[in-house]
Amino acid sequence: MFKHLFKLIWNKKKQNFLLMTEMLVSFMVLFAVFTLMVYYYDNYKKPMGFKYQDVWVININNSYQTKNTDSLDLYYETLRKIIKSLPQVKDLSFVSGNVPFSNQINQGGLTFKGKHIDHLNNFTAEDSYKETMDLDVLEGRWYNKSDAVSKYKLVVIDADLKEATFGKEQAVGKLLGNDDDKKKMKVIGVIQTIKRNGDYVKAGPGLYFRADTGSFRWLSKILVKVSPGADAAFEGKLYKTMAGYMKNSNIEIEHLTNKLKDTNYFAVIPMIVLSIVSCFLIINVALGLFGVLWYNINKRKGEIGLRRAIGATGNSVSSQLVMESMILATLSLIIGSFFAIQFPLLNVFDLSAHIYIIGMLLSIIFVYLLVLVCSLYPGRQAAAIYPAVALHEE
Amino acid sequence: MIRLQNIEKVYRTDTIETLALNSISLDIAKGEFLSIMGPSGCGKSTLLNIMGLLDAPSKGMIKIADKSTENLNDKQLAQFRNKTLGFIFQSYHLINDLQVLDNVELPLLYRDTTAKERKRLATEALEKVGLANRVKHFPTQLSGGQRQRVAIARAIVGRPDIILADEPTGNLDSAMGNEIMEILINLNRNEGTTIVMVTHDENMAQKTHRLVRLFDGSQVQ
Repeated sequence: MFKHLFKLIWNKKKQNFLLMTEMLVSFMVLFAVFTLMVYYYDNYKKPMGFKYQDVWVININNSYQTKNTDSLDLYYETLRKIIKSLPQVKDLSFVSGNVPFSNQINQGGLTFKGKHIDHLNNFTAEDSYKETMDLDVLEGRWYNKSDAVSKYKLVVIDADLKEATFGKEQAVGKLLGNDDDKKKMKVIGVIQTIKRNGDYVKAGPGLYFRADTGSFRWLSKILVKVSPGADAAFEGKLYKTMAGYMKNSNIEIEHLTNKLKDTNYFAVIPMIVLSIVSCFLIINVALGLFGVLWYNINKRKGEIGLRRAIGATGNSVSSQLVMESMILATLSLIIGSFFAIQFPLLNVFDLSAHIYIIGMLLSIIFVYLLVLVCSLYPGRQAAAIYPAVALHEE
Repeated sequence: MIRLQNIEKVYRTDTIETLALNSISLDIAKGEFLSIMGPSGCGKSTLLNIMGLLDAPSKGMIKIADKSTENLNDKQLAQFRNKTLGFIFQSYHLINDLQVLDNVELPLLYRDTTAKERKRLATEALEKVGLANRVKHFPTQLSGGQRQRVAIARAIVGRPDIILADEPTGNLDSAMGNEIMEILINLNRNEGTTIVMVTHDENMAQKTHRLVRLFDGSQVQ
């Protein structure tokens, strides 16, 4: 029967072309939506890597102009003491501008053992960064004062970079750097990857450098860990205290919780747009399928009557129509899958293959379910046609 | 072979009740070639549909091959039609998107047969109607007479005991009509197939063993 139906569909390929194209386009849009959803979910289920609640970001511009590094150190160390003296401040850390959930990036690349790692995030942070962020150290340790003097340039890497460079092996104690660099960096710790781009978007590998005494010239942000009860009144007090010390300086205080919300919002917008487009397409395909099958029943009443006359039951007529739709869907999905599989093969958007594969499987299941639902009712209507009436109408 | 007892068929709409068949009783023997004649709308096709179990009578009893058909469910009726009955229609009812061979194979698809066996039986049936050289053609590439021969091949491919033909020569000119009639006569004579044929053509009817005339739903001869 399957071969028979396939022949029937093949011989009607011109009539079926539009419907198949519609199914194919729907599959491709669904593939995009599901891949994005799987990608978002895949990132969502990963740990955040730090505790962003009760962490505030203070943006400062360096108003203190001096060429003397000691004076600069003294100026910012005093600022640190002033901020830390406030009762609701638990800890703080001067950091580079690319704090979590900000639009600032500082990226480079690394070729290690012949493997090139793109979009490598470079961070600079102080020893207190671990406590301020409540980092999850997976291997080794975070920086401390003893790291000021070392034979090697020390570095802390995140789990993503460790996976990309050392795989499952231990990273602590190993040297890291471009293959052609003579001076390598020594890994002293591995931390959980921080989801700096929010809950849904992949952060990319990260390399953390220790802020040294000269770093105050360009460290433009302070992360402050506050007590859970810190409110707007305290925020005002913090601002006033800082403004009193840093004359003519712009100070802006933001909460990481709010920044995360904004970051997530911007990440979700493309998915919402794609979902709306796919919803319209799905409705379109559903109506199209329903209409075509309904039209087919009326157009093929003679054939339905004939099949009943020569031995088909109502159910077999019904299942024939459903199967025809499923075969059409299968043909469209084969073509669609051919295009879809190119994405992981060519690594188009630098996503893991499993995200594409799951997205593809979900799209296939969805298209089959859609076709099944849309063809069941017309199929049942066909089964209810009385053969004598159908043959007479022809 | 076929026994009809007091068959009545009433078509009802919201306002009108139409008596299409009125107390028809008929016995058709095995191997008989019977023709049914009558003016348009007298109930010939309705009677044929009832004999073919495509329609149910409002009253009365049908026995085919000594088997009462009134309590058969949809699946049993379908199986019965598939194995015992073959149909030929005035408008052929061929599927234009399938080749001749595939059209002839259709009844065998609803049986437990292999593709090889289906092909063999369909080729044999097409040889019997002289169309063995047209297996790859589509119905639209054939003349009316050839299409009707394909329809006959489809009716006989399952080797049914009874063939029900509803004006098989109605759409054909007399020469082609005679050819079709020859095939049916040969089937009846050589294979012993019982044939019931509805026709408007007196000449064709005269070639059969017995003629039944209907008028306004009643049997008049």
